[in-house]
Amino acid sequence: MSEFIQIIVSGLSAGSIYALAAVGFTLLWQASQTINFAQGEFVMLPAFFVLGAMGLGAPMWLAIAVALGLSVLLLGAAFKKLIVEPMLPHGTLPLIIATIALGLLMKESVKEFYSAQGQPFPPIFPTEVVRVFGAAISVADIMNLAVSFAAILTLQLFLQRTRTGRCMQATAQNRGVAEILGVNVKRMVMYTFLINAALAAIASILITPIYLAKFSNGETLGLVAFIAAIVGGFNQIRGALVGGLLIGVIDNLSAFYVSSEYRAAAPLILLIVIIMVRPQGIMGTSEGRTV
Amino acid sequence: MLELKDIYGGYDKITILNGTSFKVPRASITTMIGPNGAGKSTVFRAIFGLLNIRSGQILFDGQDVTRHTPKQMINHGVTYVPQGRNVIPQLSVWHNLEMGGVTARDQSKVRARMETVMDQFPMLREYKNRKAIELSGGQQQQLEIARSLLLDPKLILIDEPSIGLSPNLVQDVFVTLQRLRDQGVTILMVEQNAKAALAISDYGLVLELGQTQMHDDASKLLNDPKVGQLFLGGHFHEEEGAA
Repeated sequence: MSEFIQIIVSGLSAGSIYALAAVGFTLLWQASQTINFAQGEFVMLPAFFVLGAMGLGAPMWLAIAVALGLSVLLLGAAFKKLIVEPMLPHGTLPLIIATIALGLLMKESVKEFYSAQGQPFPPIFPTEVVRVFGAAISVADIMNLAVSFAAILTLQLFLQRTRTGRCMQATAQNRGVAEILGVNVKRMVMYTFLINAALAAIASILITPIYLAKFSNGETLGLVAFIAAIVGGFNQIRGALVGGLLIGVIDNLSAFYVSSEYRAAAPLILLIVIIMVRPQGIMGTSEGRTV
Repeated sequence: MLELKDIYGGYDKITILNGTSFKVPRASITTMIGPNGAGKSTVFRAIFGLLNIRSGQILFDGQDVTRHTPKQMINHGVTYVPQGRNVIPQLSVWHNLEMGGVTARDQSKVRARMETVMDQFPMLREYKNRKAIELSGGQQQQLEIARSLLLDPKLILIDEPSIGLSPNLVQDVFVTLQRLRDQGVTILMVEQNAKAALAISDYGLVLELGQTQMHDDASKLLNDPKVGQLFLGGHFHEEEGAA
């Protein structure tokens, strides 16, 4: 039983981080029909910003702030201006291919210019363990969960309770009407990209201490975020959250009770089952988007 | 109050408007009729800054507003209610209404105005916390009209307000438009239900191939045998295409 609790908690912890990336995924899709196949690399890179800043002598907190700022600037604003805006008029598919290329570029650049070896990443939370009902729960897991939930909750409140947030919703749900009502549609879409970059940076800083900072981290992360978004319904923040948590837990359960050799298959099996049984996703509505 | 002078424009290389010209007087209802693809909706898009205008001039209150953006047009006092259902589906009725005043600098005035508008449409107050998508088609249409009134517009461009509505709801919408006209609002409408629309209008104009073919008192158009045969016939079913 104590084992089971441990597995569930660490699964939820990892899952909540996947959810951050998955939420960003759905936001970009809703606001600008961007399916970002570089999302995994978006989560891989900010950890290297942190390492880079620390390498220059910055303390941890400053390095994190720098990484957040750089991410928002590069993975948010520059990504939208330099890649999405020029590619989107050519259609969704060329844009998807461009994001795949961007992902490769980011991955290979880190390998080439930083290191091909996994870099140790300093833990941001205490590495202690607390005993709950006999289970050893790591403080870092609890903190990861708390930070991810706080980020998603803040986002939800922003979207629902502020006028800017509602303008963003209007832009995502009915762009033509938002424009007719005088909403600054372009600015709203830009906000979405900035938010996605910030979420990716938070995910990066939370998840990298679990593994090492490595150029190839994005491969699994991107796939998992994509699957989490689809499983959840692709057009809902709540869905992406549920999808992320579910994958984190299933991944951990299968690694422990089945075999760690097959753990990578678990999210894919979940994806296939969901697509067969409930193609609109767990929380999704089949309407989604009309063209 | 509104004048189009020899407007040419369209989408990409397709020209829809071929020298469209007409005037709309203040505090009146003008209904635009015409066959499929005549460019009726396109006229609205041209006025509201959503169309590539190649040449010509649009005057509003004597001011040149050609190629002004939707936001600028809203600031001039023009609102546009496009064809089809145009609510923000997942936002509440209240927040949909709020969106009508999104360009206003003074948001406290918007609040007060929302109350006034809801007094005119009591249904909206009753359902203000519901998601807009949960309203019936007629209720959504009312919400759209209410939303377009939020900034106290001088001119409303309204495209096919009767689409998908039962006959008595259509009558409700028309009564609302007449009431607005009596309050001094100018209305330019496109309506497939041409006979009923002309009956409540002051003026009518016939658009064909992007040109104004006829422009007269609504009652004269209603009694014109040619117009009757082409656009008001019992079996004639006319809808604007994808344009």
